[in-house]
Amino acid sequence: MSDQPQAGQPQASQSPTGAPATTPTTPSETSAGSFGAVFLTSFTTVFLAELGDKTQLAALLLSAESGRPVVVFIGASLALISSSLVGVLLGRWLSRVLPPQQLERMAGILMIALGLWLGRQAAMTMLPPT
Amino acid sequence: MQLPLLASTFLTVFLAELGDKTQLAIVTISGTSSRSGAVFAGSAAALVLASLLGAGAGGSLASVIPPNALQLAASVGFLVIGGRLLLLSVRREDDGGGDEDGSAAV
Repeated sequence: MSDQPQAGQPQASQSPTGAPATTPTTPSETSAGSFGAVFLTSFTTVFLAELGDKTQLAALLLSAESGRPVVVFIGASLALISSSLVGVLLGRWLSRVLPPQQLERMAGILMIALGLWLGRQAAMTMLPPT
Repeated sequence: MQLPLLASTFLTVFLAELGDKTQLAIVTISGTSSRSGAVFAGSAAALVLASLLGAGAGGSLASVIPPNALQLAASVGFLVIGGRLLLLSVRREDDGGGDEDGSAAV
């Protein structure tokens, strides 16, 4: 409970479209959209990436093993919220340390590498083993 | 009675998730967006929904939704976002004004 960044952020501004963000540190054109757009992007990406992941397999195993799916759900949710908070804080720190252009390039390369790796994995499991 | 299960679930999932591709995606989106609150809300909602599906389905999810198709969809999404970010950085470079210091992190 030492830091609560999302509580300190004045997100309730609900600025009309076209109004610049309150903090013009990273004026990226695509990502500096409305709250809903950023929310939707994060939601879709993370949801797709998370389904069928090993975390879900662990949750499934624990749930089937214990016979208490509600407790497993609460524990898994708390852990995932914590880990996403860590990710958001790390990204915010990186955006302060690195220039935005360099960060975008590195992030783009990372995302494409992850996409290729995921696609390769999917293609390999789709193909018959023999 | 329920606390050990809660703690073991928390630890298992938290450790499995650290450094995962999901967290890398969150770091990427958060770092390139000025709205960390929206990123946190979106990713937390997605993860809670995913774990709800995982705990609720209890093993039958893999038979309902083929994981291959999901992985393929996620890979396409990652490629699109990565391409957009690269395009953005190239455009910013063309505008002129990128100070290049060789501090390569990660």
